[in-house]
Amino acid sequence: MSLRVDVDANDLLRPRERRRRRRRPGAIAFDVVVLVIGLLMAAPLVWLFAASATEPGEAFTLPPKWWPTPFSTENYSRALDLVPFGRMALNSVIVAVISVGGSLLVAVLAAYAFSRLSFTGRDKILVLMLSALMVPAQLTIIPVFVLMRNLNLVDTLTSLWLPALINVFAIFFLRQYFNSIPRELDEAARIDGAGHLWILFRMLVPLSGPALSALAILGFQASWNNYFGPLIFISSPEKMTLPLGLVTLQSGQGGAPAAVVFAAIAMVVAPVLALFLAFQRNFVASVATAGLRG
Amino acid sequence: MTVGVAPPVSIDAGAPPRRRARRRQTLAGLAFLSPALVLFIVFIAGPFAFAIFLSFHSWDLLTPREYVGLENFRQLFSDPLLPKAMLNTFLFALASVVTHVFGALLLALAVNRPMNRFVSYFTRSAVFFPYLLSWAAVALLWKYVLDPSFGLVAYYLDKIGIDAPNWFVDPSWSLPAIIGIDFWYTIGFTFVIMLAGLQTVPAELVEAARTDGANRWQVFWHVTVPMMSPVLFFAVIITFIGAFQIFDPIQIITKGGPDDATMTIVMYLYQTGFQAFQIGYASAIAILVFVVIMAVTGLQFLVARKWVYER
Repeated sequence: MSLRVDVDANDLLRPRERRRRRRRPGAIAFDVVVLVIGLLMAAPLVWLFAASATEPGEAFTLPPKWWPTPFSTENYSRALDLVPFGRMALNSVIVAVISVGGSLLVAVLAAYAFSRLSFTGRDKILVLMLSALMVPAQLTIIPVFVLMRNLNLVDTLTSLWLPALINVFAIFFLRQYFNSIPRELDEAARIDGAGHLWILFRMLVPLSGPALSALAILGFQASWNNYFGPLIFISSPEKMTLPLGLVTLQSGQGGAPAAVVFAAIAMVVAPVLALFLAFQRNFVASVATAGLRG
Repeated sequence: MTVGVAPPVSIDAGAPPRRRARRRQTLAGLAFLSPALVLFIVFIAGPFAFAIFLSFHSWDLLTPREYVGLENFRQLFSDPLLPKAMLNTFLFALASVVTHVFGALLLALAVNRPMNRFVSYFTRSAVFFPYLLSWAAVALLWKYVLDPSFGLVAYYLDKIGIDAPNWFVDPSWSLPAIIGIDFWYTIGFTFVIMLAGLQTVPAELVEAARTDGANRWQVFWHVTVPMMSPVLFFAVIITFIGAFQIFDPIQIITKGGPDDATMTIVMYLYQTGFQAFQIGYASAIAILVFVVIMAVTGLQFLVARKWVYER
């Protein structure tokens, strides 16, 4: 869908400037309602961190814990004993880094061809690729599974990142971005003797920082949170990524106690929360721009 | 989803066509495009064609494939579980679209006005953040939040005198529970889209309407909504397509139960293909999913002509 919306996406989470003036009581009541909505949204996560850091026997006593008393890290150490958590985190990182890096490299090259080179069939190929955006993942996953099985790649990390290298949305998004960069720059570089690779990697790519970082954030998020792929391709715990590992911890071999599962969830959520607090604007901006311009 | 493709702009437009230069460009184009093209054929186009091929076969991955013609599709339309799975999926998608679009629009309007800076910032972040998590973490967390004996929801509902249902045991409450969890998880995306959409409403237009004596409600219906209609339409399409493929929380929490109350079409596809290993039949289900998504999206584009304002 093409939607021409120009937004200053950087500011979406920042409150609007308020003119200093007396506020009516109604407006203050409204603020309270908005605050309550925020608190309700945050409540499950606050409970997650509080209960998981409470002594195992006390974690789920009523009323619910909003503060970890008596404090204990035992749930965390037991979660680490039950699943190879570090290994799973490393797997998640490996898969995400290769998926994102590889798919962006492939996309940058293809976007250059679509934006800067003219050859027969170019636009037909682009339309063909774009129509693939409508094909749901469930339709292709069965044949891809058969393929991975024939290649002996089932239950390897390769089966997770290899299909992720093709990202049609990224190709199209970058092509649009490249199209917005004046072609006179290429001409100037070409007169100075620059080749295609130089123009692409020394000129277009450095000028496409915002588009690339938005795609990187979205791609990383998709890979990091992917559950369907690992569920189908991976069976051994030391090959699992974090989402599948979490679910296995909860359901496998009778299942770990709730407090231990809570600690594991908290360990998965905490880094995301830290990254969000540090790079909030980037997260929101990438969702808004890629969402709306996609 | 259709995407507008700009007319090709040739960089050697105006120059006399030179064969060698043209051939060089074609070679360069193929070289730059080849990694994407190969991956596209191997992981998207090829599998797409192969899925259609498989849907005419009976296969369990171990014994040789057998051509069965339209048998899988015939079986599909007499499968007693299919209407149930379709109904659940449509109910979920409909509820998801309505709650997300209205909820996000209301939330965006609520925070998009002069208000206490801390409250505004806190609520915006709290609404957006869950969207960054994985379904695995969210589904497991909510399984405990909704636990009837020690969960948050049961405890606080009891405080205000409501007897909480046993969400994932009672067939009439399981799908609503999944709808609620999905709302908490993905509302942040729709919310950000709506916030961005609100920025596209020209302030002069709102001022002008106010000067002409329109009240807030009239401004909302006659200025804000029409100006935002492309964004609203986008949100409807995206939410529907995502919701129609709902799978993760169902696989993690209910496995389609109790009594098939949360059996959705993709959950059914997963059980058929990857647990019963009826590869041909699962491919037929996958094609059905694809056709339904295409049909509903196409229908929405037709209806959109009536209500979406194009600038």
